[in-house]
Amino acid sequence: MLIYDIWFLFIYMFFVGNLIFVSKNKHLLVVLLSLEFIVLSIFFFFLVLLMFIDYDMYMLMVFLVFSVCEGSLGLSILVSMIRSHGNDYFQSFSML
Amino acid sequence: MNNNSNKMFFLFILFFSTLISISSNSWFGCWIGLEINLLSFIPLISNSKNLLSVETSLKYFLTQSLASINFLFMILIKFSLLKNFNMNNIISIMMNSSLLMKMGSAPFHFWFPNIVEGLSWMNNFMLMTWQKISPMILLSYYFNKNFLIFMIIMNLIIGSLGGLNQTSLRKLLAFSSINNLGWMIFSIMISENLWLFYFLIYSMMISMMISLFFLMNMYFMNQLFINNMNFFIKLNLLINFLSLGGLPPFMGFMPKWIIINFLLINKFYFLIFIFMMTSLIIIYYYIRIIYSSFMFNYFKMKWVNLLMKNNMSLINLSSFISISSMILSTFIFM
Repeated sequence: MLIYDIWFLFIYMFFVGNLIFVSKNKHLLVVLLSLEFIVLSIFFFFLVLLMFIDYDMYMLMVFLVFSVCEGSLGLSILVSMIRSHGNDYFQSFSML
Repeated sequence: MNNNSNKMFFLFILFFSTLISISSNSWFGCWIGLEINLLSFIPLISNSKNLLSVETSLKYFLTQSLASINFLFMILIKFSLLKNFNMNNIISIMMNSSLLMKMGSAPFHFWFPNIVEGLSWMNNFMLMTWQKISPMILLSYYFNKNFLIFMIIMNLIIGSLGGLNQTSLRKLLAFSSINNLGWMIFSIMISENLWLFYFLIYSMMISMMISLFFLMNMYFMNQLFINNMNFFIKLNLLINFLSLGGLPPFMGFMPKWIIINFLLINKFYFLIFIFMMTSLIIIYYYIRIIYSSFMFNYFKMKWVNLLMKNNMSLINLSSFISISSMILSTFIFM
């Protein structure tokens, strides 16, 4: 049935988000953006799933709260990195 | 020590997050516990403002967040395929992979020695012991036996061969931790009680070693060769290293003995061979360190004096526990 082709969209979005996460980028911000894209795909997936079984959306809100916390943690680490290194390029990792 | 109350706060949330993750009714609660774990561990390790700790916390954040997001996606896929049991193999492999990445286990271990190199000894202790609890227990809820046996073999081989070329004590303990993860994953497949036993003894051994290195402020292997070191400190180091490797009269032998017993009962003969051989490689490089420390006249500086007169009781106690606990534990049943 055509209605079930929606699942492929979620898997495709998730896969593309992961692909950009593991690719070689110049900036750290791109990696954090890909993380947010994966969160968005999971949000969409969760929404459609909960709609199909006619549940209330409370779990979706809890998920949203936690993933926003995680995104803000990533941004704070980005800020800390810019304060110490001066930029967010990946080439400035040399210590470890 | 600055920001002591901050550390207590985040440490409390760290402990609580593991409890949330273990004791939840649904997989979603497990994911919530893992997220809170990440959220509370990052402030503990990114406390000082130098380049090294920023890079460490960044690497830790990236790998752990990727693993927990993948875990959640697999939970949702498992939830959506309601009675389609054909997909169980793939889904269990993916869920186990994300949990193995959280632990620092073998195909996903590349972040672990790097991050351990950048942390202080106390943060290393938290990373090596407490952070392994909740992924391990979540692994025991839904594991794929064949996949995990393959991962155990990779863990053992990488943990033993990776430590051969190390000069930093932290990376040495990191590879030893990866090797012990192989033993622990096998013990989870047997029973969770056995894993708890192995984990408690392992964390006790690691705590003895890390407390010794912390008191002497030692991070690299060439710091072990100082000539003025008290004989009892060197002896304690020998006993603890050999106990970690699993030699018989010491404490570290007992959990490995019990796991070998269960391996023989379940007829995993090839796996026993790999467990034994990799243990030999690990004991080889521990002995290489310790015998050099005992016998070489490597580094003679008159103004470096490691006088540890005040803290000797702790060292003597830990040596006593390491030597005698295997025999004393049989007295429980008297």
